[in-house]
Amino acid sequence: MPENAIEVSDLTKYYGELCAVSHINFDVRKGEVFGFLGPNGAGKTTTIRMLTGISLPAEGTATIMGYDIQRHPVTAKEQMGIVPDVSNVYNELSAWDNLIFTGKLYDVPKTNRENRAEELLKMFGLYERRKEKVQGFSRGMKRRVCIAMALMNRSDILFLDEPTSGLDVQSVLIIRDLIRKLNQQGLTIFLTTHNIDEASQMCDRVAIINHGKIVAIDTPERLKRTLNSRQSVEIAFDAPPVDVLKELAKLPEVSEVVKKGDKFQLFTDDPSKVLASLWEYSLSNNLKLETVNTLGPSLEDVFVNLTGIKPATAGERPEKTGENKAKGMARRRGSND
Amino acid sequence: MIEKHSSHFGRELRVAWAIAVKDMRTYYTKPPSLMFGILFPFSLFFSFSIGTKAPLATQIPILISQTLFFASSSIGPVVIPTERANQTFDRFLTSPVSLLSILIGKTLAGIIYGAGISVIPVLIGIAFFGSQITHLGILLACFLLSSLAFSALGIMFASIPGQTPGQVMMPLNFVRIPLLFISGVYTPIRELPALMQVVSMLSPLTHTVELARYATGGETFFGPILNIAILTIYAATFLLMGIRFHIMNQRKE
Repeated sequence: MPENAIEVSDLTKYYGELCAVSHINFDVRKGEVFGFLGPNGAGKTTTIRMLTGISLPAEGTATIMGYDIQRHPVTAKEQMGIVPDVSNVYNELSAWDNLIFTGKLYDVPKTNRENRAEELLKMFGLYERRKEKVQGFSRGMKRRVCIAMALMNRSDILFLDEPTSGLDVQSVLIIRDLIRKLNQQGLTIFLTTHNIDEASQMCDRVAIINHGKIVAIDTPERLKRTLNSRQSVEIAFDAPPVDVLKELAKLPEVSEVVKKGDKFQLFTDDPSKVLASLWEYSLSNNLKLETVNTLGPSLEDVFVNLTGIKPATAGERPEKTGENKAKGMARRRGSND
Repeated sequence: MIEKHSSHFGRELRVAWAIAVKDMRTYYTKPPSLMFGILFPFSLFFSFSIGTKAPLATQIPILISQTLFFASSSIGPVVIPTERANQTFDRFLTSPVSLLSILIGKTLAGIIYGAGISVIPVLIGIAFFGSQITHLGILLACFLLSSLAFSALGIMFASIPGQTPGQVMMPLNFVRIPLLFISGVYTPIRELPALMQVVSMLSPLTHTVELARYATGGETFFGPILNIAILTIYAATFLLMGIRFHIMNQRKE
């Protein structure tokens, strides 16, 4: 049996002149949750489409549980379940029929597929509505049907492309909990996501892809440690004055200030000095500090650092405040969703 | 992993059939299928045939041929672009089954739709206009080969990258409509000039019309053996070209 669930070697894809994925190499170990991160257009979906046999690579190989996806596509595809970024369920069919049809595509015998469909619909809380056409389901329910369909063949590997994107909080929590449980049962998970917090919470290892190339692969914690200099102090005032952002940016040892909702994040190499000057600043301005936290670098910091993503307004900032950056990031996130 | 059936060939057939049944349940009653598969051939028939002096019984083979032609070739162009738009076609590409079986499943759905609807004019002819089936075997061959060839034609055109049936139907109709005028549907082949008779022989629809006429007691210009041979060649060619084009699409994906 192969040591790795997925092995990717020199995988490359061109769209005309554009090289969408360029000679990427990585392995996914059996039983791990592997995150695949990258900004829009970085090559995440192109990679997943090549790994799952939808698209054919121009160069390179990919093996799934030891089977080459190009040379042994049928056997390789038997090893995997796929949840694409769009819930591609058959709206005209009922939830039950969607699962049964998927069982037929995988040639699961009748009794087994009916038992499995019942088990999955109960697991996903959809059994009571199994006879209803999926077109009447909410987005979260369709997502659950889609994931259930991917589990019909009891595969070894589950590919999840943006599984929680655009869902309500309840559905997100249900799906994350389910992914954890499936992984605990031994399923290897290949997860692509925009949500860096999600990747940080769920993945054993992550790969970051940018401009079609892998720029980092490691555990989230090790990746964070590569940015030890990027520490910060997060504060919230009871009633901050209007010009607080500019004032905070003037404090010694503060390299950047970012407004995050009702909080301010002050980036620094020396959090202790910043804490001292913050204390003086709040006393002299008669401000009440509601929250003070010191933070290490996040996976998002690593992601931004490696992909070189800058907010559109960064060049317009007259000072070292991050108000514009926060707005820019908010806009970008909005466009991604 | 869950228990599965064993035989590879049997498995491919079972999956192809499952795809065909799903397509029948899902797409047979969709408006584009009804419009291009039923309304279109019947309307064309009545537009051209009503008012002619020929007895209606002799017109029935034309209706049979047109229905076989339009209905069979309409399912692929309805199903595949719709599934591409909903990304449900990707489900087939990621499932453990060959592209050939996927396209055979889609072709089967077209065959059953075309042949099923074309039984209606046969029954109408027998019940109301005194049509007689003089060569049942030829009629069955006509149904089987024509629906296969035209369904495969539709699948081949559905390889055109598009996400709505209209994007495939439009170029397909650029082929289907002119074929009506060179295939002996409205003008008997023996009345055409020699050059047009050669052109007519190259049209698959010609051979459907000829077989339908022959099966109902009429005559065939090229002979049933040549009709069957040419339809068989077209069916195989369309199927192979369809597979080739879909593989090319996969490379571009």
